[in-house]
This record gives sequence, C-alpha cells and structure tokens, in this order.
Amino acid sequence: MHRRRIINTLRKLTTQTTKLAKESKRVFPPLYWRLYSVWYRHMRVYTKNIFSNGLPPFLEPLLFLAGVGLGLGTYITQSMEGLSYLEFLGTGLLVTAAMFTAAFECSFGTFIRLEFDKVYDGMLASPLTVNDLIVGEIIWAGTKGLFFSFAVLCILAIFGVIHLPYSLLAPLVGFLTGTMFAVISLLITSFVRTINQLNFFFTGFISPMFFFSGVVFPTSNLPSYIQPLVEIVPLTHSVRLVRAVCANHYQMIHLWDLFYIVAFILVVGFFAVKRLRRRMVN
Amino acid sequence: MAEKIIIVKNVSKTFPKVVAVNNLSFEVEAQTCFGCLGPNGAGKSTMMKIIYGKCTRDEKPMSQMSIFGYDPKDQELKIKYQSGVVPQDNNLDDELNVIQNLMIYSKFYNIPARLARERIAYLLDFLELSEKANSRITELSGGMKRRLVIARALLNNPRLLILDEPTTGLDPQVRHLIWDKLRLLKKEGTTILLTTHYMEEAFQICDTVMIMHKGQRIIEGPPRDLLAKNIEKYVLELLDAGALQDKFNDSMREQVRIDRSQQGTRLFSNNYDYLKTLAGSMESENYYLRQTNLEDVFLKATGRGLSETQ
Ligand SMILES: Nc1ncnc2c1ncn2[C@@H]1O[C@H](COP(=O)(O)OP(=O)(O)OP(=O)(O)O)[C@@H](O)[C@H]1O
Ligand SMILES: [Mg+2]
Repeated sequence: MHRRRIINTLRKLTTQTTKLAKESKRVFPPLYWRLYSVWYRHMRVYTKNIFSNGLPPFLEPLLFLAGVGLGLGTYITQSMEGLSYLEFLGTGLLVTAAMFTAAFECSFGTFIRLEFDKVYDGMLASPLTVNDLIVGEIIWAGTKGLFFSFAVLCILAIFGVIHLPYSLLAPLVGFLTGTMFAVISLLITSFVRTINQLNFFFTGFISPMFFFSGVVFPTSNLPSYIQPLVEIVPLTHSVRLVRAVCANHYQMIHLWDLFYIVAFILVVGFFAVKRLRRRMVN
Repeated sequence: MAEKIIIVKNVSKTFPKVVAVNNLSFEVEAQTCFGCLGPNGAGKSTMMKIIYGKCTRDEKPMSQMSIFGYDPKDQELKIKYQSGVVPQDNNLDDELNVIQNLMIYSKFYNIPARLARERIAYLLDFLELSEKANSRITELSGGMKRRLVIARALLNNPRLLILDEPTTGLDPQVRHLIWDKLRLLKKEGTTILLTTHYMEEAFQICDTVMIMHKGQRIIEGPPRDLLAKNIEKYVLELLDAGALQDKFNDSMREQVRIDRSQQGTRLFSNNYDYLKTLAGSMESENYYLRQTNLEDVFLKATGRGLSETQ
C-alpha cells in the first residue's frame, strides 16, 4: 500500500517534470537572437548574389581614384588640411560609401520590403516584434556601411594612398555612419507614400551632403553663414572622425563628433521606430 | 471540459473609416477546427491579425483576449512562438529559394540548424513539395506557394494554426490535399482557426463554424446544426419565376419561404413532395431542386445583396 503510493507520487512527479521541460522549451528566443536572426535574413539575401553585390563596393573607389589620381588631381596641387588631394578625397570616400549604401538600403530597400514584397508581414507572424525588425535592420545597414568602408580601405591601402595600421579602424566609423544614415532614412521612409518621393530625399539631402560636409573640399573656406549648417549635418562629423582615425591624431572636437553621432542614432532612431511601427501594426 | 485555446470577449477594431470588428466574442477549444465565414470585408482577416498581434484591438475595458492564456496586447511573442500563421496573401521572400525561405524562418524560431533541416525535409515531404526544394519562389505555381506558406507556418510545430483563406484560388486536388493535411494535424493535437469562402471546406473540416457580417457574429455552431436549425431542408431554385406566377398565393406561402433576388427566386421548404409538385409543371432547364447547404445558410444570414463594404 505504502509502496504503491510512493510509486504513484513518483510517477506524477516525472510526468510533471517532463511536462515542465516541454513547457520551458516553449520559450521564445531572447532579444539578441531575434536581432541576429533579422540581421541574418538580410545578410543571406545580400550574399546570395555575392558577385554582383560584392564587387561594386571595390570597383567604385577604384574608378574614383583613377579619375582623380590620373585626371582631376593633377590640376589640384594645393594641399587640403595638410593632405594631398588624393588622400583628402580618399579618406572622405571611406564614409560616403557607407552613407550611400545605408541610405539606399533603408529607403528604397525598406520601402519595397514594406509595401511591395510584404516581407515584413510574414516576419511579423513569427516570434519577432516590430522593434526587433527595425533595430535588426538598422544594425544590418551599419554592417553594410562597415563592409563598404572596408572595401574602400582595401583599395586605398593597395595604392598606398593611406597608411596602415591606424586606418584599419576606419570601417568602425563606416559602421557608425551607416547606422546614422539608416535611422534618418527609415524616418524619412516612414513619411513616404509612393516610392518616387524618395528621390527628393536623395537629391535634396544626400547629394548636397556629399558636397558640403568636407568630403570633396574643406568646409573652412565656405562663407560664415553656411558654417552652422555644415556643423548640423551628420556627414561632417563622420568625415572629421574618419580623418582623425586615419591620421591617428585626435582632438577634443572629435569627442564632440562621436557624441553627435551616438546622440543622432539614438534620437532619430527612436522616432524612426516609433513612426514605422504605426505602418507595420495597425 | 476541454481546454480553451482562444478566448475572445467583446473585441472591437475601429479603422478611421470603418468598424472592422464589432464587439465580437467567441471561443475555440483545444484540438478542434474553428471556421470563420463571412462576406468580403466582414472583418475575418482583421480578427486573425488581432490574435497574432499584427493589429491592435480597440482599448475597451470590457474587451478581453486570451490565447494559451496570454493577451496579444502585451505578450505577442509568447503567442507567436507557439502559433503558425498562413496569411491571406502569400508573403514569401522572392529573393530566396524554397529551402532558404524555410531556413530563414527556422532561425526566427531559433531552431538549431541540423534539426531545422530535418524538419524542413519532413514538411516539404508532408506537403508534397520535395521536388521543388531548390526552386526559386517565382517558379512556383499558386498552389505550391500556398503549400509552402503552410509548411512555413508548421516549422515550429505550432499548437495553434491560423489560416486565412488557405485554399482560395486553388484547384480541387490541391484543396483536398490541404484538407487531408489539416485533418491529420488536428488529429495530432493542433488547434486550427481558419477563414474560408468555401462552404464545402467549412463543412469538410470545421467542427464549429461562425458566420460573421460587418464585424459581428451572426450565428455559430457545428456545420450540421447550423443547417438543421437555420434553414429548411430543400430548396427549389427558379430561373424563370414567371412560369409559377399564378401559383404565388397565400396557400403557397404557408408551405414555402420565398426568397427573391436579382439572381432568381428560391423557394425553401421542408416538404420535398410539395416542391416537387410545383416543379412538375415546369421545363426541366428552368428549375433546380436540391437539398439546402451551408451556402444557403450563409446567404440567408448575411443577406443576398452586396453591401458597400464588399
Ligand atoms: N489597415 C486597414 N486600414 C483601414 N481599413 C482596413 C484595414 N484593414 C482592413 N480594413 C477594413 O476593415 C474591414 C474588414 O476587412 P478584413 O480584411 O478584415 O475583411 P475580411 O473579412 O478578411 O474580407 P475578405 O474576405 O475580403 O478577406 C474592411 O472594410 C476593410 O476595408
Ligand atoms: Mg480577409
């Protein structure tokens, strides 16, 4: 009698523990994994066409350098901020490459996934939240920025335009730049109704930034009333930071640049997530 | 009493221009198939989206929801982790092939790669898609895409399967194949919530059917009961009502219920012989005498004319 009771309790206990084990397996993946899986999705799609996606980031700076080194550069003999023109422009390209790729990814790319392919609708039915989806995408755009910066770095290093090893840190600035342009592009995209409206973003914001952030020429000689504007736009800070990294020469102002970038990512990112959420969940 | 997997109480959803779900309540028991019928725009898809967190319901103190005991408002991940969703539109990743689509989703569920590959092989076989494992999505037919989306929804071995019009636009073979698979899944313990426009489908696989109209529940019950309780046994459909014009009188009205619409006139009755005699006086291409089905219940419940939201 006594023994049977013990056996019964034991049996109950084991069924309960197996049940519990089953239950505990029913725990959704943790945050880091959810972000990683979104990142992984984008990475898989990107690397699927490794040739057509992976080669242009290397070819573009090559063309640029050829054009400038063989053509334009021979006319510009003045040094800029103490650098030869090739080095001046080359270091700028390290971050503009990151800017362009992240801006495209998170404007046209995001819009197409959102409105045409409905990729997000499917993903949101799996254990991911809207926040996971958007933050994962931002991290991916940052990664792309890092890769594009790295490609430029390779070309610059091969042709002896910049000096290793300090400039090996430049892709990190590329990551920050990519992230920064990812959040601003997502915010813009959240307002856009038809895909053509994104053209305004590129001609009105991204292209001017290329010219007035000290990439192509130093901003110090621009009229004084433009100076505050230069200081406001994000790319200025990336450019200054990446040149400091390549020269391994830091000043207080670079701390301000770093602060600006991080604050920009956090603040603009917050609003981007908030607004995009409303388009994904109604 | 069986466990309730879904409990929905007084749930509403208001869009700027329309109330898509209007104070809806229903419950779904474990291991049953619950079917949701209703005209276009009735709010079926919206209801499903609220369940898996793609839509948020209106904030109302009376409204209450419990999916496996969780409220989608603040525990969407717990619900989604244990559910599989087949949305109304296939949203496969065109940039990836069949296997890759499934592999990516297995990552979302954090299924270890080796296990995922086994599971995917099993599911592709289960839905008879093995030959297409390495095809591009654009190479698949509509029926194959649909089956692939179902396979994707089954990756995590869900306790609850949510299917929004799983068989719309598919040929009869594929439709029967999907029904067979759904029956099998139910037998293995899966709870199924589905919407459909096919009455036959509801009759074949649903244990309970709810007919919705303009966001509200009109009737609910097992398909056979709905038939027995809500409609006469037989119907005589007349393409040309003129032939019987002289017989539309009070004595006829006692025997049959007359339903007139643009498409024709239907006479409903439990008295087969009476309808047969009526029909006897007509040319055979002018009438059709048959048993009533769920579609008749549906049309009776939701009205025959189109409303502006459809
Ligand atoms: N995102 C949205 N914004 C505004 N209105 C919406 C939205 N989604 C659905 N509606 C409206 O809500 C109502 C219910 O739509 P829903 O898609 O739930 O219908 P349904 O029963 O699934 O119809 P169908 O059989 O055609 O799929 C419709 O009037 C529709 O116009
Ligand atoms: Mg629908």
